[in-house]
Amino acid sequence: MDEVLNNLEISINEASCFKGNNLVFENITHLIKNGEMMLIMGPNGCGKTTFIKSICGIQKLDSGSVQFNSVDINSEFSEHLNNILYVGHKNSINRDLTVFENVEYLCAFDKSIKKIQESEIKKCLDYFGLLKFKNYLVSKISEGNKKKTSLVRLLLSKKKIWVLDEPLSFLDSEGNTKILNLFNQHLSNGGLIISSSHIDFSDNVINTKIYRMGNS
Amino acid sequence: MVKNIIYKEFKGYFRNLNSIFLPLIFFFLIISIFPLLVGPDKNLLNKIIPGIVWITIIFTTVLSSNNFFKDEYNDGFIETYLTSDTSIELILFFKILLCWIFTCLPIIFFIPIVSIFFDIPLKNSFVILFTLIVGSPILVSIGIFGSSLTLGMSKNNVLAPVITLPFYIPILIFSASAIESVSSGLPYEMQLYILMALLFFILPIMPYLLKYTLTLSINN
Repeated sequence: MDEVLNNLEISINEASCFKGNNLVFENITHLIKNGEMMLIMGPNGCGKTTFIKSICGIQKLDSGSVQFNSVDINSEFSEHLNNILYVGHKNSINRDLTVFENVEYLCAFDKSIKKIQESEIKKCLDYFGLLKFKNYLVSKISEGNKKKTSLVRLLLSKKKIWVLDEPLSFLDSEGNTKILNLFNQHLSNGGLIISSSHIDFSDNVINTKIYRMGNS
Repeated sequence: MVKNIIYKEFKGYFRNLNSIFLPLIFFFLIISIFPLLVGPDKNLLNKIIPGIVWITIIFTTVLSSNNFFKDEYNDGFIETYLTSDTSIELILFFKILLCWIFTCLPIIFFIPIVSIFFDIPLKNSFVILFTLIVGSPILVSIGIFGSSLTLGMSKNNVLAPVITLPFYIPILIFSASAIESVSSGLPYEMQLYILMALLFFILPIMPYLLKYTLTLSINN
């Protein structure tokens, strides 16, 4: 499968989206290849989240298209999802489970993770400094740790395209650098990242293209 | 993969055991309040108890399924479901099943005891049990469907039951008719077959409908 995925390319062609009668964004045209990162920046309410969702294909566009390797994502939707790892700005963790169980639970939604050893999960939790909260219920830990719990998937997944919505919110500076290191690693391995953020971290991550939304 | 998810959901349900016991306590409270109100007339109670059991089942399913996706919607989990590359329909199917196991099954389990309390004949009690086993999964899945329809709204406490309760009527008609028939000695198999047909029609298509309505809830 890796040979096929050596060339990744996501192109967004004149995408526009309305919610009801309100225009969220219009005429976004952009091209990203593997090894590149698209950093979406803009003021609150400019439609970053909606745009991110439309790249995943779960938000319908009113005009324009998103193409993955020059195939429209809606025509090959399940194929598209096989390559995409989406982590939203909400924490998307199960409140009734512990940190460790949540990582296992979230990985079960990802087919690219075939079989995970307990030691492997522990290593990833340790990377984010979550090991001591391993058996805490996620409803009892802090917001930053919740965010980290939902981001542990990045270490375990073998998917090439990461679509992240505000990955750095609630994180401390140490967590920030760890995530950015992870980004650099993923990009140098030929991955592709689309991320929204309100912090400009383009100086710390290689091959970053900033896309500014809602300036007008 | 799916097995792992189901196992974790199961664990989550077991963490809040009140989700099992509260419906059960609610059920017994209503069942024991009724004789206090209508008096200890055996014939009358024998006639109305099946209906009361059904009413409590309806209330429990409405209460438990009304906010079924609420937490997941607020936590942004719906997006994780929809962007997952595993079979999301299968997961939703098992989620319906788990909801039924933890809300209706404990009540169904105690129906024989209720039958002894109210001196309901064995054959009648079997028919009541059967209509509940076949009918309550339909109620749960319709209730969950209603809750997924009203996800995008901020205050939706009563809207989902208002939408879904009319769809309960066919199931209630056939169950009531089966119980009525068996207590007056008439054949009752036809109603049970229709209930089973409804179950095997609704349960397989519900995950697909749910996936569609969840997509809609993300889109608006």
